[in-house]
Amino acid sequence: MPDPSIPANDESLRARWAREVRARLSPLALSPAREAEIVDELSDHLDDRCRELVAGGKPEDEAVRLTLAEFRSGNLLARYMAPLRQSNARPSPPPGAATEHLLTDFWQDLRYAARTFSRQPGFAAAAVLTLALGIGANSAIFSVVHGVLLESLPFKDANRLYRLRMVYPDGKAYTTLSAPDFMSVREQTRVFDQVEAYTSGVVTMLGSGDPREVRVASISGGLFDMLGMPVVFGRGFLGEENSPGRNRVAILDYGFWQRAFGGDSGALGRAISVGGLSYSIVGVLGQGVRLPADVPGARLPSEADVYLPIEYGEAYSATAAQRNSRFLGVLARARDGVRSSRIDEDLRRIALDVQSTSPQGTEGLSMNAVSARELIVGDVRKPLLVLLGAVGFILLIACANVASLMLARASARHEELTVRAALGAGRSRLLRQLLTEAIAVGLSGGAIGLALAYTGTQALVAAQPADIPRLEEIRLDRTVLLFTFAIALLASLAFGAWPALQATGPRAGGLRASGRIGGADRRTQRARAGLVVAEIALAVVLLIGAGLLLRSLVALARVAPGFVAMDAMAFRVALFGRGYDLQMVRARVHELEAALRTVPGVTAAAATTLLPMSGPGPRLTFSVEGAPPPPADVNPEIGVVSVTPDYFRTIGARLVLGRDFTDRDHDQAPAVAVINEAAVRRWFPDGNPIGKRVRMSGVREVVGVVADVLQGDPKGQTAPQLFLPNSQRPVRSVWIVFRTANTPVALAPSVRGVLQRLDANIAMSALVQLEQLHAGSIARPRFYTALLALFACIALVLAVTGVFGVMSHTVAERTREIGIRMALGAQPGDVLRQIVGRTLALALAGLVIGLVGAFAVGRVIQSQLFGVQLVDPPTLIVVGLILVSSASAASFLPARRAARLDPVTTLRHG
Amino acid sequence: MNTRALDRELKRGSAELLILSLLDARPRHGYELSKLIHTQSGGQLTFHIDSLYPLLYRLEERGWIKGIWVEKPAERRRRFYKVTPVGRRVLAEQRKTWDAFVEAVRRVTSGKHA
Repeated sequence: MPDPSIPANDESLRARWAREVRARLSPLALSPAREAEIVDELSDHLDDRCRELVAGGKPEDEAVRLTLAEFRSGNLLARYMAPLRQSNARPSPPPGAATEHLLTDFWQDLRYAARTFSRQPGFAAAAVLTLALGIGANSAIFSVVHGVLLESLPFKDANRLYRLRMVYPDGKAYTTLSAPDFMSVREQTRVFDQVEAYTSGVVTMLGSGDPREVRVASISGGLFDMLGMPVVFGRGFLGEENSPGRNRVAILDYGFWQRAFGGDSGALGRAISVGGLSYSIVGVLGQGVRLPADVPGARLPSEADVYLPIEYGEAYSATAAQRNSRFLGVLARARDGVRSSRIDEDLRRIALDVQSTSPQGTEGLSMNAVSARELIVGDVRKPLLVLLGAVGFILLIACANVASLMLARASARHEELTVRAALGAGRSRLLRQLLTEAIAVGLSGGAIGLALAYTGTQALVAAQPADIPRLEEIRLDRTVLLFTFAIALLASLAFGAWPALQATGPRAGGLRASGRIGGADRRTQRARAGLVVAEIALAVVLLIGAGLLLRSLVALARVAPGFVAMDAMAFRVALFGRGYDLQMVRARVHELEAALRTVPGVTAAAATTLLPMSGPGPRLTFSVEGAPPPPADVNPEIGVVSVTPDYFRTIGARLVLGRDFTDRDHDQAPAVAVINEAAVRRWFPDGNPIGKRVRMSGVREVVGVVADVLQGDPKGQTAPQLFLPNSQRPVRSVWIVFRTANTPVALAPSVRGVLQRLDANIAMSALVQLEQLHAGSIARPRFYTALLALFACIALVLAVTGVFGVMSHTVAERTREIGIRMALGAQPGDVLRQIVGRTLALALAGLVIGLVGAFAVGRVIQSQLFGVQLVDPPTLIVVGLILVSSASAASFLPARRAARLDPVTTLRHG
Repeated sequence: MNTRALDRELKRGSAELLILSLLDARPRHGYELSKLIHTQSGGQLTFHIDSLYPLLYRLEERGWIKGIWVEKPAERRRRFYKVTPVGRRVLAEQRKTWDAFVEAVRRVTSGKHA
């Protein structure tokens, strides 16, 4: 027995009390937790007794000796305890003893954790909710990424599916191949199992009640089979049904069959008129089966109502001399194990072969392939990954916050841990206990987070944001659950490991009586300050990212569209069927316009084959007469649009040079054209094309120049366009645009009425407001920006909460010190300044680190920025101000509490 | 029953009453209880730690009192005991019995000397 007279500090004294008490309890079968409690309680008693003796004037070593002597005088503790229930607990391993029963330990620790937390519900709630926010955001975005990017496409061998593209000399790729090129690839490929094609359009269908506009896809015989698109009623197409004359058979989309034929199986064998030709229905596709979605801006729709076999006419020959006709979407399935580099190589070989055998119009052309997945989700991948990164940051901040809470708590629980260590709990056992607590917090956070994620993704899918592909694939499935579980565990380790190591580390080994030491544990303080700096830095990165995207969005919205979107609407009509020869189409369009202009409220009406925001239009080969041939890397093509005379005025496009079309530009008059400014820039370096003759399926004279009209993505460059009078090149499927004095939607019924009176066989469809088209062009950036801004706000709130927590704790821990300083003459203002000043120092440190981080991370979003530089002073200034002001606000409450301390009270009770 | 046994029984029954009464006023920890008993009895009654705590634990197991760890900022946590509703009923009963007992003893003893 060590000599009790050795001067002892409080810490080793407590260890002695504990040892004494534990020795007395050893004959009893107490549960480890209960034993620890009793040891704790009785040590308190001995401690109090000893202090009392000291207070009564006894020297400390004398007091210790007396206390122990008193305690030892009885030695009846075990005897008196023995009849109690708690003294006869079932045998269990002593606390801290190594045990083989990890699960039993885990369960025991978990119950212990639950008890500890129930004593501090505030702490538990703060930690769990913080984590729930972080984990929920991650699960939600992961479920989107998983559904959109990772889940396999709904096609057979989807990972071997490629879309073939024509590559022009200027490096631009187009997603269609001409019929002869399609045939060449089919015949010469060494890398594909199967090569199939489709083309689609909108035509009028008769034969199921009212005439209706239907989306038609003409396909090559093997397409359904290659994609694994099952025909559930009737049969698929036969190989020979692509031959001319054999192709009058149709297969219906399941949804269309329901809509148009009420799901009647008697529809099989019936005849329908599609685009003026008669087809016999032979089959119905499976429910929900459709073609792969196309790239935005491509001409082909992603789904069709009616499928017909492509008629393999003259152009469908690998040896056709005229190779610029019949453009098709071409899909191919690679042989097993063929890499995409080999595929491109093989396509280049075929393109070279085509050039050598039919040099006419093929020079410089090549082909490549893009995987179906890339095609469908390629342009959403990066923004989604950026969002995933953003929520990762939020989780890090949440972890830092909880770690900081845990550190604070660990220093408050120091004594408990010390006692357990004194009772023989090894470091690893204590670590396990603390980690179990962390995991309990983490998993609870994960569970609530999952609920948040569910609500979030439901809202997201319901909002149908900005034609993001495959949204319907988003769900909280097993993978998402596993992911959530995994990040909850990881997060538990992230925020739990460090505080646990700190709390049980060798330097924390000694005993001390907390509450008596004026200063706090400096190491913990420093650690928490470091966490706050890290949180602020992460929040700064997100804030700057969101700020830059916000500025881009504003810049995008400010891009002049080149047309007036307000108060204008358009609808599509398809003029097919009996009696509709081209002369009739021309006349009918003219009548439609005239009739529309008679509707009260309509101020202008015109027809066009292409609306603004819908791409540059079908491209055709173009040249300027007398001009030298363009360099090889210039694509000699121009987007072609047929319009009626009043079109430019109706959409509000500005005529820059020359004249608009008039009714005198009819089919007998000289061929004329209006080009856009982009075409002037590309083809007329001197800037004046008026009167020049150009070649585009025939020679025509340029009579006017119209200002560029937005063709889609405001970030993109406007492509050259050539406008022709509709009467000189009539098209059967046109958009009728009309402008009204006020709300155009109100006029829709009377417009429909006018149309019906004119020709009951005309189907009107796709009524749109030009404003929607315009808004749609920035819907996606707006969606991503809104999400990122939301995440940045969450990050800021979490970081500010972290600042508040640390500052409150600092003030609480330094109450005594502050009291002394105030007693020595410090003014409340000084104290306030000191606390707020310390916060600002932390905030500024975080800000600087965050700025550096933002610059590094900013490269990731650089490609999505528009009209704003990566280093954008306004954004930086605003972010800096937001941060500094919210951090000072967060520290103000604790600082004020400190400044209002009464020095006398503090010193008496501190 | 010899005097020592009677003494022990009396003390035991009264000990419970003492603890419940002291806790009825407000929750207290063990050391405070022992101090109070010592000072308020004018030094006549002293509980050794060996008997005080087993007594508290027994009362707790009976559900008469409840011990809770109370943590105050910047202080060590301490175990405080408070009387449960059951304990309060027991206390009322015991007070009555005790009064009756004291009264009976008083009558007997005063009768002898009357």
